[in-house]
Amino acid sequence: MSELIVIKDLHASVAGKEILKGLNLTIGTGEVHAIMGPNGAGKSTLSAVLTGNPQYEVTGGEVWLRGKNLLAMPPEQRAREGVFLSFQYPVEIPGVSMVNFMRTAVNERRQYQGLPALSASEFLRLMREKRKLVQITDKMQGRSVNEGFSGGEKKKNEIFQMAMLEPCFSILDETDSGLDIDALRIVSEGVNRLRTADNAFMVITHYQRLLDYIVPDYVHVLADGRIVKTGDKTLALELEEHGYAEFE
Amino acid sequence: MSWRSMDTQSLNKGESLELVLTNESAVHRHFVQQEGSRLRLFLVNLSTPVDADITIEQLGPHCVSEVYALCLGRGDESSRIATHMRHLATDGESRQLIKFVLQDKAKGEFLGELLIAKDSQRVDATQTNRNLLLSPTADMRTRPQLEIYADDVKAGHGASTGQLDEQAVFYMQQRGIGYNDARRMLIAAFLKDVLAEMTDSRQQEQLLNAIDSVIEQVQ
Repeated sequence: MSELIVIKDLHASVAGKEILKGLNLTIGTGEVHAIMGPNGAGKSTLSAVLTGNPQYEVTGGEVWLRGKNLLAMPPEQRAREGVFLSFQYPVEIPGVSMVNFMRTAVNERRQYQGLPALSASEFLRLMREKRKLVQITDKMQGRSVNEGFSGGEKKKNEIFQMAMLEPCFSILDETDSGLDIDALRIVSEGVNRLRTADNAFMVITHYQRLLDYIVPDYVHVLADGRIVKTGDKTLALELEEHGYAEFE
Repeated sequence: MSWRSMDTQSLNKGESLELVLTNESAVHRHFVQQEGSRLRLFLVNLSTPVDADITIEQLGPHCVSEVYALCLGRGDESSRIATHMRHLATDGESRQLIKFVLQDKAKGEFLGELLIAKDSQRVDATQTNRNLLLSPTADMRTRPQLEIYADDVKAGHGASTGQLDEQAVFYMQQRGIGYNDARRMLIAAFLKDVLAEMTDSRQQEQLLNAIDSVIEQVQ
């Protein structure tokens, strides 16, 4: 294991209200970290800040990804460095086809890595291979990005994009919300098959259920903008039983 | 200018016409449709501002009229599109999709008159105007005017003017697509949709490419 991402004393606010109040967290390669906590604790703010969402303002602290200053990069550069967010609410993009969208994204990443662009046939082969992972149909692939997709299809599509882009650091923001048990299993198995010794995952969830499928190495409780408790997977079970009352 | 002074074109019974007008600065056209005729008009202004007055009269039953217009305005250009869709017979259909994309201090105006006369039953008419403002100083005015005198008809209209969806831009950036490229992809998607129904696939391809190259210059 080596340090992949180091978050030091991170402060952030949205619309002038401070949400993150000095968050510290280090994640190593090969690890899965679960972030749990009550509503409003700052879980989604953390994912937004790490990916550079312009609606959030970083007011203090540092984030280092493999020794590079993440907070100094625009969102697209963070993505090309291998930071991936599975959105809680994936955005619909009418008129932009999945194929065009993914080809542009994959080739931007490859160009950044100094690799040649994939040809049309190489790209389609890659799409065919990766979509099996989360059982995405041909039909979904031909449509505009997320347009008219069901909740489950949108989440599968996020994991499909993760598979296509092969990130080193993936954030799953409430990926379990709105999923039925079958979709949850497909999405979780997809994630598990993407785990390697070189990448890492931050799984943000309100419920323990997802962690039955994606088993974390560490569980952190995020409350009032800070990590207030850290444990192994048994902490998630404790939280399930006792709730977050002691942290609120 | 009244329609009487415009170029008038008649569509005979059962005739079909698809017309593509590209980058014309003044379009003053009057179409008269006889029974069962079909008119499909494309107005594409990517590099020239336009002043357009288009009057379509359905004189016979079972006519279909479609107007698809897209206009890209920049600098201090001013463009105006007016349509006068007149259903004067029964069982007619009309579809209008008008889009403006305005940057800098460009101005756009759409006037959509839709008339369904008293005895023109079972008409199905839609008019949609969607506009994208790429700068806070761009200005769009929309005036739909529906006059419906028949009772057994469907008439729908919608107008909206907005900015690029910043959440979509961020979503694309999060996948590694640059900010300006993401914006251009969204603008191109917004415009290309207007050409979806074009029958001549070669001309359609040329115009889609023209959209891509003109979008390259959008900031």
